Amino acid sequence: MASLAKALLLLLPSVLQSNRQPPHVNVVSFESNFLHGQNLSLSSSSSSSVTCLTKTSSLIICGKVNKGSVPPSFTLKDQDGKNVSLSKFKGKPVVVYFYPADETPGCTKQACAFRDSYEKFKKAGAQVVGISGDDAASHKAFAKKYRLPFTLLSDEGNKVRKEWGVPSDLFGTLPGRQTYVLDKNGVVQLIYNNQFQPEKHIDETLKLLQTL
Amino acid sequence: MSILSHHHHHQAATIRHRHNHHNRRHDHRVYCAVTTQITTRPKPEPLVIKTTPLLTPPRADDPSLKSTWSHRAWVASGCGTVLASLASTVIGSYDSHIWLEPVLSGFIGYLFADLGSGVYHWGIDNYGDASTPVFGSQIDAFQGHHKWPWTITKRQFANNLHALARVITYTVLPIDLVFHDQPVVMGFVGMAGGCIMFSQQFHAWAHGTKSKLPAAVVALQEAGVLVSRSQHGAHHQQPYNNNYCIVSGVWNRFLDENKVFEALEMVLYFKLGLRPRSWSEPNSDWTEEVEESPGTYLP
Repeated sequence: MASLAKALLLLLPSVLQSNRQPPHVNVVSFESNFLHGQNLSLSSSSSSSVTCLTKTSSLIICGKVNKGSVPPSFTLKDQDGKNVSLSKFKGKPVVVYFYPADETPGCTKQACAFRDSYEKFKKAGAQVVGISGDDAASHKAFAKKYRLPFTLLSDEGNKVRKEWGVPSDLFGTLPGRQTYVLDKNGVVQLIYNNQFQPEKHIDETLKLLQTL
Repeated sequence: MSILSHHHHHQAATIRHRHNHHNRRHDHRVYCAVTTQITTRPKPEPLVIKTTPLLTPPRADDPSLKSTWSHRAWVASGCGTVLASLASTVIGSYDSHIWLEPVLSGFIGYLFADLGSGVYHWGIDNYGDASTPVFGSQIDAFQGHHKWPWTITKRQFANNLHALARVITYTVLPIDLVFHDQPVVMGFVGMAGGCIMFSQQFHAWAHGTKSKLPAAVVALQEAGVLVSRSQHGAHHQQPYNNNYCIVSGVWNRFLDENKVFEALEMVLYFKLGLRPRSWSEPNSDWTEEVEESPGTYLP
């Protein structure tokens, strides 16, 4: 109830402008994602892991990925149905961006923005990978329609999203839009979160890649 | 304000977007399993799906634009309930020796009406179609309006307002009966009900041309008391996803800058699988046809 009240207060415009750092991770994401985006790698959380309960009520540890940490590996199917592992990208910087769903306005804007700046990413020696819960067929159609030159991975069941601790928005109703930049050693150097200004993900990640 | 260009007509396959709202309604989705809309999208339907009531714009003398006695009766009853609220608030305020609270509540009612008009307009513009229960005829009317926006200026007064007047009668009359001795409540209800009922008139004025509108109306539009012609004109441009409020338009900037409707659309998509119309390319039923006579949006 307290976190709900806090989240409601954050709806007020004057409060939205502030740079408060609420302790609860969900409230941080509500404030940051809703309008202005937040560079979460600058506001490091004190805990590096979160305990989660699965549907069967057995306790598993979900690692929340922070700046400076090495995220858990994954193997997911790409738009052609081929298995792709995170380890495949080691040796080069990689931008891993989690987005809500194919064929929604924000995700389309974001994908097209990555596409339009793809040459800059290539020049920086980086690869780009998009991850959502849609299946391979959806990714294939989406990539084809918008001529996306990068890999899209199917995180069906949102397993990887949960493992990496990508926060949700709007009281858990929306999958969050969060981007991670991993350096060539696979260490996270940037985490950027912004639900409603998707193009900013490109600017922020490029800015960091110039320094790597 | 720019004159809207003539849009090209889309293939019939895009019409299926309107029907997907029904087809998807029974998908059971939990939050974690992000929608697989693409795989369950039904195959494109045959070219002739259903006929829309109007394929050509109504002529200025078309009977469908004229007021009937039924329309006038509903407008009269709507006005009656609103005037009853306002009279109650004035009398109650005088008797109770208060004025600030009822005036404030009236102002809040005016603001509420603008917000309510936006939310309702957003819902009707984006979801459902002519076959939707209760709202089907309204949705169809809004679709026709988007295709031929200038016809609203050709509608007679009661014809334009009667649907809202009926809703106001049903809602305000019981409130009047229960709360008639509470001037603050009556102030809110009277203003909100009145502004909602007359929002279609404000809407019609927003489609008018400056030279043809009464000077007082133009002044109120320019003062921001009534929704302006330019602000509402922005709603009639692709992708038809902003400036939904049509009373004063005071909420439009806040709602659009804070992406409130975009957020609501995303929530409805992930929770119910409903895809709003504004996400798709407008099909021929929505894209505006150019008016024969110019100047719909000229300031």
